[in-house]
Amino acid sequence: MTGCIRRILAVAGNTFLEAVRQKVFAVLLLFGLVLVGGSNYFTEFSFQEQFKFLKDLGYASMGLTGLLIGLLGAAQLIPGEIERRTILTALCRPLRRWEFIWGKYLGLLFLLFLMMGIMAAAVWAVLHWKEAQLIAAEGRDPAVADLIRAEARDPRMVQAVLLVGVKLAVVAALAVFFSTIATSTTFVVAMTLMVYLIGHLQSVAREQWLESGVATRWLVKCFLVLVSLLIPDFNLYNLIDEIVAGNAVHWNSTLEVTGYSVVYVFILLGAATLAFEGRDI
Amino acid sequence: MTLAVQTQGLRKEFALGWFRGRLLALEGLDMQVKKGEVFGLLGPNGSGKSTAMKMILGLLRPTGGRAEVCGHRAGTISARRQIGFLPENPYFPNFLSGVELVRYYGRLSGMGGRKLEGRIGELMELVRLGGEAGKRPLRTYSKGMLQRVGLAGALVGDPEVLMLDEPTAGVDPAGSREIRDLILELRERGKTVIFSSHLLEQVEDVADRVIILHRGKKLREGRLVDLLSKKGEWQVRVQGLEEAGRRELKAWLEKRGAQILAESAPRERLEEYFLRSLPEEMRK
Repeated sequence: MTGCIRRILAVAGNTFLEAVRQKVFAVLLLFGLVLVGGSNYFTEFSFQEQFKFLKDLGYASMGLTGLLIGLLGAAQLIPGEIERRTILTALCRPLRRWEFIWGKYLGLLFLLFLMMGIMAAAVWAVLHWKEAQLIAAEGRDPAVADLIRAEARDPRMVQAVLLVGVKLAVVAALAVFFSTIATSTTFVVAMTLMVYLIGHLQSVAREQWLESGVATRWLVKCFLVLVSLLIPDFNLYNLIDEIVAGNAVHWNSTLEVTGYSVVYVFILLGAATLAFEGRDI
Repeated sequence: MTLAVQTQGLRKEFALGWFRGRLLALEGLDMQVKKGEVFGLLGPNGSGKSTAMKMILGLLRPTGGRAEVCGHRAGTISARRQIGFLPENPYFPNFLSGVELVRYYGRLSGMGGRKLEGRIGELMELVRLGGEAGKRPLRTYSKGMLQRVGLAGALVGDPEVLMLDEPTAGVDPAGSREIRDLILELRERGKTVIFSSHLLEQVEDVADRVIILHRGKKLREGRLVDLLSKKGEWQVRVQGLEEAGRRELKAWLEKRGAQILAESAPRERLEEYFLRSLPEEMRK
């Protein structure tokens, strides 16, 4: 078992190293940080609105930067290795194909979590900077100062960051799955983006069809069930919007979504292993 | 007889896509490689050499037949533990340094800790990339250096069998000689080496036995000494014989019914001449 973990970690480490040594990822991270930092200069609103805006843009930047890094990273995972033929010298070793896939996935996840850690720290820093600014400007009244502190030090930030993280983990697993059946990096990016969009729209479409009565036909029902099983429902992660809006989101809901994500990650990586096992290299 | 690699009726067809049929890349290859042998797979491009190697490595699944490595079915983990592989062109992650590459391959082979670090040092010395050269990024390496570091990577798990796909393709004569010397050194250490090449002169220098493939079919197989010896001819090289002595020898041979087919001063091979022309430090 030690050898198995060592091999997975070797692939993960190499994937991570490859990504961090590429300039494009640093540029994307910089782009995300500029978005987060730039949001601090929108000062035309009340302090509650300013904090809401900062959090909204902060989490959205994390999600967008993560999506771009995840897509670009995943696109290079297996098709990139096949194109460069570096996969030959890895898979001819006593390395099982599922170990290779898990290693690639974990490497990508390390990268995404590193990026999220840096960006979460940036969001936290911007919120505290804004807190100091607003208390200096409007916080003579202790009640107002307490409200500003409460907005800036919102503990629900942990929930929001966790939700962004698990959403990106599912996107990365999707990209890994497509990378095992793809022959080109473009295919991986296009398919992952397509499923990502369908995942956002599927629950809305399903509700509309159910309301319109079309879904009473068994064929349509089967199709809807199939789509909802095969494609993760990305609307579940809209809990982040509730957190930004200041609504209470119970930890149970956050953990349920986390559990749902973990199940999908295992299903997608299992499917990726099956697809990759019989593939000629 | 202990066999390192054995194939029976090994066959591979590739699907060319919808409604485009199939391509037969290798047709029923039977091959036996003994332990400690240097074995050459010869043939022009597209003859099936790399396909055969990839099936032995488990990278391609055979359409028919079977392959075994040291008694284990090809493609299984136990079979892959016995093989080291150097691909045709230096396909390595070029963001790594030489040492990092060998360490990565060592970890993929399940190694770690001091044992791995010791092995890396030993191998980098063996392929003459010790010291600063091993710390440079691979993108700054010459093709010969890449092949040598690839060889270190192939050897890191201490495999029984080494498979080298066109190891000297695109490498200059000095680099080519280094790789050839390394192959001979590995044979000295008891390793089995299977290599493919279309550079026949180089094969001649190192291989014990060869198979000649053409369009996926085996044309010939045997020991080089048997395949290349001209039956009924005899050759002798002498030194210090004057013109009068030569005439006398020729007359003696003709008197005994022998026909002199060729007579010339022996020539050096161009590669040897080229290497001898280089300054001493560049020959190493």
